[in-house]
Amino acid sequence: MPTAHAIQSIDFLTAFSESVLAYPIVLSIHLTCIALFGGMILATDLRLLGLTFKSLTITEVITSLRPWKRVGGTIMIAMGLPLAASKAETYAPNPFFWTKMIILGLIGVHALIFRSIVYNKTEELDQSPVIPTKAKVAASLSLVLWTSMFVMGRLIAYWD
Amino acid sequence: MPLQNAIGDALNNAEWAFALAECVHIGGLAVGVGTIALLDFRMLNLGLRRETAGQILRYTELWTIIALLFVMFSGVALFLSQTDVYRVNLIFPLKMYALAAALIYNFTIHRKVATMENPPPVLSKLVASVSLLLWISVVFGGIFTGFLV
Repeated sequence: MPTAHAIQSIDFLTAFSESVLAYPIVLSIHLTCIALFGGMILATDLRLLGLTFKSLTITEVITSLRPWKRVGGTIMIAMGLPLAASKAETYAPNPFFWTKMIILGLIGVHALIFRSIVYNKTEELDQSPVIPTKAKVAASLSLVLWTSMFVMGRLIAYWD
Repeated sequence: MPLQNAIGDALNNAEWAFALAECVHIGGLAVGVGTIALLDFRMLNLGLRRETAGQILRYTELWTIIALLFVMFSGVALFLSQTDVYRVNLIFPLKMYALAAALIYNFTIHRKVATMENPPPVLSKLVASVSLLLWISVVFGGIFTGFLV
């Protein structure tokens, strides 16, 4: 695939994928973000499902974790780009990689759908005597999407 | 369907069990360390600040312990699947020392300070920073075990 070959032939990407230290360090940072950022997604979803952090309102959980999730997500993507680009030729035909990208797109769709009715309406959710179904649906889908994305990421290494 | 074929290949290949164990290992790590990090963030006066560190610990502790058990069981399976490789690996023993330190620290000093009534803020922040550094070093150790053979 000429495009993929051209991408990974960019000097610094070639040097990156061949380096003994830089590649595993960036991968470790990517993984550390999965842990730190994943814990926050889990906390948000479990709160929306009413399973834990019940002494905190939904508003408190979502608003206090939001900036950190953004920081974590930004670092994660920033690290993920060179990891994928430097191996573009092996990633381009890899179905696990493309499934992961499709799930990433679906996570974007999830945000578009639920932001206005759940994540930006937390005060309304807190006032409701029971957690509304839409919030539980949003949280369940979020857990499924992020878990699938994680599994596909791991399986990228298993395709040859 | 390329994905279907890829999954089929993975499952037909004996490697699938290794892949599954790895998913459980890293997924468990994400939940285990992620929940510890929620508490560390609180002790650093970041994140879930409206609740005490002790209360955050009560909410997360069971998730942390169950997740870490999954990490350890899958880790033992991964180790046993290729003991020859790990036995000569230069980084692997370092990861095990870091892990032992992180685990002991987590359930002693870290827990003690997290449950203190009014810990000095400096102490909380120091203890939380050490906790994050220990766990991050375990993550780095895991990745480098795979890369620097």
